[in-house]
Amino acid sequence: MDDMAGPPGDIYDIDELLGAYALDAVDDVERDRVEDYLAVNPRAQAEVQAHREVATMLAFTGMDAPDDLWGRIADQIGEQAPPPGPELAKVMSIDEHPRRRRIADAAPWIVSVAAAAVIGFVAIGLVADRADAPNDPMASAFEAALADRDSVTTVLVSEASDASAEAVIDQDGHGFVVAQGLPTLPDDQTYQLWGIVDDGQVISLGIFGPNPELETFTVESPVSALAITIEQLPGVVSDGNPDGAFVGAF
Amino acid sequence: MRREYTDASDAALVVSIGRYQQAALAEAYRRHAGACFGLAKRLLIDHSRAEEIVQEVFVRLWNEPNRYDPERGTLRSFLLAHTHGRSVDLIRADASRRKREEKEARQQAVGGYDISHEVWDIALAGHVREAMETLQQGEREAIELAYFGGLTYKEAAERLGEPEGTVKSRIRSGLKRLRVELVQAGVSIGAD
Repeated sequence: MDDMAGPPGDIYDIDELLGAYALDAVDDVERDRVEDYLAVNPRAQAEVQAHREVATMLAFTGMDAPDDLWGRIADQIGEQAPPPGPELAKVMSIDEHPRRRRIADAAPWIVSVAAAAVIGFVAIGLVADRADAPNDPMASAFEAALADRDSVTTVLVSEASDASAEAVIDQDGHGFVVAQGLPTLPDDQTYQLWGIVDDGQVISLGIFGPNPELETFTVESPVSALAITIEQLPGVVSDGNPDGAFVGAF
Repeated sequence: MRREYTDASDAALVVSIGRYQQAALAEAYRRHAGACFGLAKRLLIDHSRAEEIVQEVFVRLWNEPNRYDPERGTLRSFLLAHTHGRSVDLIRADASRRKREEKEARQQAVGGYDISHEVWDIALAGHVREAMETLQQGEREAIELAYFGGLTYKEAAERLGEPEGTVKSRIRSGLKRLRVELVQAGVSIGAD
C-alpha cells in the first residue's frame, strides 16, 4: 500500500520523501506535495539541496562531452536573435527576504544624494565595440532611445570615484546604462541599479555583474533618480550599500 | 570585446550569460558539460539522446539563466539536477527503453556498487567510492536504482522486494550518510 496515503499535512511523511524527491524518484502527485512543502519550509529546501549536491558527487565521471556538441549548442543559440532592449536586463531574480525592510526606510542616502546630484542632459556615445556592431539589437535600441526627444538622460557620479555612468530612459520606460566606464569589480561582487520612484521609494532595477558594459533595465513608473551600488553577488533585495555609490537625478 | 571567463565564479558566469555573453556559456559548458553528459549517458545509454539532453540543458541555461540561484547551490548541481530530471522524463516516457534500463539498473544493484569501470580521473572518485562502500547495502541499492536507474522509490521498492517506506527512508538516510562520509574525507560539497 502506498505509505503516502496519509493526510496531506503529515510532515514526517513528506520529510521522508525529501531524499527520493532530490533524486527525481517520486511520482507526480508526491512531487507536487513536496514542492508545496518546500515553498514554505527553508529547512526542507536546504535538505533537498544538500541531497542534490551529494548526487552531484555521484554523477561525476570525469567524462568529456562529445567534441561536436558545443558547436551544435552554439549554432542553436546563435539562431535565436537576442530580444532587443529592456528584456536583456532581467539577468537574475532575487527572492524577497522577509526580514528586509523597504529600502525607502533603509536607504535614505540614495534619496539625499540624488537630490544633490547634477541634473541635466548629456551627450551619450555608444561604446566602441557596440558602435562597430551595426547589427547589435541592443545598440540599435539604445540609439533609438537616445534619439527620442521624449527620453530623459542623466549621469551617475560618485564622490568616491572619477568614473561615471550615463543613463537614458525612453518614454516607454526602457532604460539603458552606459556603464563600461565603471571599475571592474571582483568576481564575487556586482553592480546593482536602483531607481527612486515618485513616492520616494527606492526599488532595485537590475543586477549588472562585476564588469558592466551597455546595460538595460525597465521602469514601470517614472523615476526621479538612479543609483548604482556595489553589492556582493547575487545582489540584494533592499538596503543598498551606500559606499561608493554612483547617483544621478533626472 | 573579448573577455576571459576562466577565472570567473559560476555566479559571475551566469550573470554574464544573462547578458548574452556566449563566451560565458562556453566556459560553463567547459566546466560542467562532461559531468552532465556522463550522467545522461549513464541514464539513457543512448549516446545521441544523452547529447540531446545536454544540449537542451545548456540552451535552457542560455535562455533562462535567472532560474539558477547561486544561494541555493552550485551551478554544477543545478545543471545536473536538470540533466537528471530530463533524462528521467525520457526514461519514463519510453516504456521499452525503461524496461531495458531497469534491467541494467537491476544488474548493477544486484552486483553491488561498481563504478570503478567509469573513466574517473581525479581523487574524488576514490572518495566517492569509499563513501558509497560505507553505506548499508540496502541504502546503496536504493540510491543506485533511483538515481542511475531512473526509478521512483516505489518502483525501486518493487524491484528490491522491500516495503516502499523502507526504500524511501533508505534513500534519505543513505544520502545523509554519504554527505557525512564525503565531508569527513575532505571533499567540498556545494556550499560547505
